[in-house]
Amino acid sequence: MFSDLDPILHSQLRLSIVSILMTVEETNFNFIKDATKAAAGNVSIQINKLQEAGYINVKKTFKNNYPNTAVSITEKGRNAFEEYVKNLQKYIHPK
Amino acid sequence: MCHINIFNTENMDEKNFTPEESLSIISKTIEETRKKIQDNGHIMILWGCLIFTVIFSQYMLELLGLHKKFDIVWTCILFPLGAIYTFFYTRRKTKKNNIPKTVLGITIEAMGWVFGLNVLVLATVFNNQIGNALAPVIMILLAMTIIVIGLSIKYKPLTIGGIILNLLAFGTFWVNPAYYGFNLMFGAIVGLIIPGILLNIAKKRGNV
Repeated sequence: MFSDLDPILHSQLRLSIVSILMTVEETNFNFIKDATKAAAGNVSIQINKLQEAGYINVKKTFKNNYPNTAVSITEKGRNAFEEYVKNLQKYIHPK
Repeated sequence: MCHINIFNTENMDEKNFTPEESLSIISKTIEETRKKIQDNGHIMILWGCLIFTVIFSQYMLELLGLHKKFDIVWTCILFPLGAIYTFFYTRRKTKKNNIPKTVLGITIEAMGWVFGLNVLVLATVFNNQIGNALAPVIMILLAMTIIVIGLSIKYKPLTIGGIILNLLAFGTFWVNPAYYGFNLMFGAIVGLIIPGILLNIAKKRGNV
């Protein structure tokens, strides 16, 4: 139906995650989970898919002896998001 | 247009959704993230009260004839204490609320520190050169900081407070230097305390 829309981004949770990452420099897994109010497992799956596509960077470290998953958007992800928004506008306001 | 509640993402799946829904998700997510990372007016109120207290106490010390003995100590203690508190409060809040770094956040923080350091240098190193103009110059620097922050977070009371403070600073040049302090106190109320209180109220109501 929406053939020009990037299938990686055209998922509600993945789109929310990328939208958050477009707003911040870097954030962590818990912030994304709280902001989207999605289940941890679901967030984890979508983060993996975005990472496999090269749209986000994921760094797993330890902070005060607790595991910390830092997530940030890549240049490829930023470009894909901008392209996705452009294509959305084409659908909403076709010439 | 169908509105999707971005907070009900438990059952998010891969099914198709309309471009309008996509835009709705994007705009709501960005807006909610902006709200989450935005600071409250606590620090603004603190610095407004601090400026007011320091200036007011200086007038009181002068009235009591103790100005020469205590005013420097008073200023040198209260402002650094405020800076130390601001540093630790911001750091604790960022850690506790898991607030991510943003370009806007970094800019606002940098503006605050650059303002503070400039005032410190002007007041200590160039005090003799700048003379009576110190108070209005500080007010102009503060007004610039407040206006830029107000425009950045798109918060009108702060921007308006900054503009009033800026105008007040220019007006200060026409006032007898003995009364500069009153303008500074009024500026602290208009530019920091009132916008800070309004920001806190708006934050509680979820309007900012």
